[in-house]
Amino acid sequence: MRKSLRVVLAAAALIAATGTALADGGSLIVRKQTGSLVVSVFSGESPVRIGTSDLSVMVQKASDQSAVMDATVMLRLTTRTPAGDVTEVVAPATHAKATNKTLYAANVTLPFPGLWRLSAEVTSGAETAGVTADLNVLPQAPPVETYWPYFSVIPFAILLFLFNRWLRGRRELAGPRAQP
Amino acid sequence: MASWSLSVPAIALLLVIALVYVRGWRRGRRLIRDQRDDSRLIAFLAGLGVVFLATESPLDSFDNLYLAAHMTQHFLLMMVAPPLVLLGHPVLPLLRGLPKPLVKEGLGPFLTWRPLRRFFELLSSPLVAWGVFSFSTIFWHLPYFYELALHSRFWHGAQHASFFWSGVVFWWLIVEPGPGKSKWPRWVAIPYLLTSDLLNTAISAAFVFSGRILYPSYAAIHGSQLETLKDQTLAGLVMWIPGEMIYLIPAFTITVQVVTGSRTRHNYGVTRVRRALAEAGANRLLLLARWRRPLQIAMLAVAVAVVADGFFGPQITPLNLAGVLPWIHWRALSIFALLLVGNLFCMACPFTFVRDLGRKVFPARLRWPRQLRNKWIPAVLLLVYLWAYEAFGLWDSPWVTAWIIAGYFVAALVVDGLFRGASFCKYVCPIGQFHFVSSLVSPKEVGVKDAQKCKSCQTYDCLRGNERSRGCELYLFQPKKAGNLDCTFCLDCVTACPQDNVGLLSIMPAKTLVTDPYRSSIGRLSKRTDLAVLVLLFVFGAFVNAAGMVTPVMMWEHGWHARLGAHAMPLVVALFVLAGAVILPGLAMVLAGGLNLFTLGGRGVMETVRRFVFALVPVGFGMWAAHLLYHFSIGWDAAWPAVQRVVAGTATAFAMPSVPDWLTAAQILVLNAGLLLTLWVVWRVAIGSTGRVRAAVALMSPWAVVSVGLYLAGAWILLQPMQMRGMMH
Repeated sequence: MRKSLRVVLAAAALIAATGTALADGGSLIVRKQTGSLVVSVFSGESPVRIGTSDLSVMVQKASDQSAVMDATVMLRLTTRTPAGDVTEVVAPATHAKATNKTLYAANVTLPFPGLWRLSAEVTSGAETAGVTADLNVLPQAPPVETYWPYFSVIPFAILLFLFNRWLRGRRELAGPRAQP
Repeated sequence: MASWSLSVPAIALLLVIALVYVRGWRRGRRLIRDQRDDSRLIAFLAGLGVVFLATESPLDSFDNLYLAAHMTQHFLLMMVAPPLVLLGHPVLPLLRGLPKPLVKEGLGPFLTWRPLRRFFELLSSPLVAWGVFSFSTIFWHLPYFYELALHSRFWHGAQHASFFWSGVVFWWLIVEPGPGKSKWPRWVAIPYLLTSDLLNTAISAAFVFSGRILYPSYAAIHGSQLETLKDQTLAGLVMWIPGEMIYLIPAFTITVQVVTGSRTRHNYGVTRVRRALAEAGANRLLLLARWRRPLQIAMLAVAVAVVADGFFGPQITPLNLAGVLPWIHWRALSIFALLLVGNLFCMACPFTFVRDLGRKVFPARLRWPRQLRNKWIPAVLLLVYLWAYEAFGLWDSPWVTAWIIAGYFVAALVVDGLFRGASFCKYVCPIGQFHFVSSLVSPKEVGVKDAQKCKSCQTYDCLRGNERSRGCELYLFQPKKAGNLDCTFCLDCVTACPQDNVGLLSIMPAKTLVTDPYRSSIGRLSKRTDLAVLVLLFVFGAFVNAAGMVTPVMMWEHGWHARLGAHAMPLVVALFVLAGAVILPGLAMVLAGGLNLFTLGGRGVMETVRRFVFALVPVGFGMWAAHLLYHFSIGWDAAWPAVQRVVAGTATAFAMPSVPDWLTAAQILVLNAGLLLTLWVVWRVAIGSTGRVRAAVALMSPWAVVSVGLYLAGAWILLQPMQMRGMMH
């Protein structure tokens, strides 16, 4: 086998490693300075869909942009249900739930699609700050949309197998000189 | 530094790659030992370590907040990880580390396909490699595409993959990882590196000196233009200074080599070590055989604790050992062991240990009745288990669980106290049969190392035993044994063989299903209706068992329960299990067999049906594995409160169920593997039976439809909300 061809294996094995180890890809929902604090709210997924959503909050000092690590952060989301009632989801955001430990994060379960009012209330010592923003929550994506890359392994593998058979057939037809 | 974004699938994949490399590296050393082996191993593992660092460390958590963090990540993926991986000369070790049939039959035709060879030759030529690397660098740093990657997981993954792979293509020419000699003169590497350095300098300088914000997302996060520009400048410096060194040091070294002609190829001393290592392998297996008793004693201790807690402990499932250990841990770990090695549960079976102790009292003089020397009893017991598990919520009753385990001990003691050999294992135990069938897809098999040696054997110690060890209690004669059916992995045959000719062999999973030889103590699979029925229950039971825990099916069952009355649940579940595990497979067999009638013209249809039934084992095993992976991944820590309660008298830490992000994807991949293996066996059986492609396609089509139907049912089940069991919720 030629050296240039053997890289195929290494390629096949490692491509998935770099492909699956994704970064956060978080999106900024709102950033606002209130008093001496700057509050930014991010969503883990964009767009946000019903079900569990990862929301994170960054609190910084306005003076030097340094992260405030000892704040208390409360996330509040409200919307009108299809029946017309007001639904509220409240979740404390903490460092423990954040991957990036300079952020405060919460897993929030949003039961209805539509326009939600998001507010983040921050208390740091004597200082309080709050930001609000509208959050458009989409219906749940169909599972096939979410998992199609995994399901596509089957037709891809079958095509590879058929190709393998075709190549082997050609090799057998070509006789022993074509053997590796 | 606490901000590690650890992703289980990515770590698992890196570990698998490392294991394949190390396996191939060790195999290579059995043939030829090279002085550079250790440094290559270290370089390759370091390369994987850098990929891990780039994608899992805080760099990854901060990359959407700080451009400098993101640039460091890219620098590692393009400039550090690829050369390290290539310094490990990965091609041969990775090929050697994979199963031989996969490399020979699966990859071989691709690796020798001329257009692909030409493509890779083209890719490894300096101009193209330089172009690919430069294009990848420029393309992803254009603001539009950079922003796209910043806001999309998919494109972010594509960006990182293209950085790594363009890095591999680029550094191939410099590292020359072989095998074989590069056809390009060495001096080519000098302008190749220097021009790349110029490009890197230009992009870095644009970051440092442009004075305007290149990526608006960071400006939105930082708020102030000054902070964003500071971050951008730092990012440029990260690319610039270490980048310069990475390009210039090899450029300088190669220049010196070219100018002075000092680049020599050493003839490294080789040592042939195949024999010594083969002997060491055999010794390791004997060591494993010696571990059987300690393993059985450990399992017995756990079983006694489970039974005692089930009888006398609180009847609260998550707090009782009998509520968690057998249902969440033991079932899943047995499956993982089957997937990675083989039937380790039967090897460490506590029931047979108690039976062995009982043999000192009970004579075991009778022969197992001839009419019952088949798998009908375990098949019926398996069906009863599938029904009782749901109908009576066995998993939710520590008391009943304890009774089942205690009953097992008594049954093993009575059956094997009366009858010779391992009659309980072979003809009664449904757990054993479950493991026997599952182990048909295991990668290891106890088998004969050298068939020639067995031809001269006159004593048949593997079957009859000798003073060193008893022989096979399940009457498996090694030279005629094929596959893992009925093998408990007791390794008695390994110990008994005076020639040291029985070993734990690596096999292609499910390969023993492709052919239908006469199997010792089993006969031909195509003649065994009882085994085929057992296999059908195993396969369809996997789907029935998992479906019983998903919301739509549970709601359907509860709806009928409400309509039929308070005590109707066992009846409703019985109907469901009968429909899914008996009637449906029966219909599928009739239809598929009926279609095969046309292809075969009426000859040997029943034998054909029985053979194809065995081909369904992988997809059934895939479903069991995917299902039990669910319970284990969300409940692996559920044992702790129960153990804490038993040891300390009170439990403080309760296992709160949470479904990991990666779980559904992993389950789908496991089911995929099962289906693909089943389709492969179906194809091989069909082509082996007919010898012609067109006839084989006609013969296999109904079975492929059955397999795909099972897969689709499994996919639907996996995408439904599944009940969490054995935990506080």
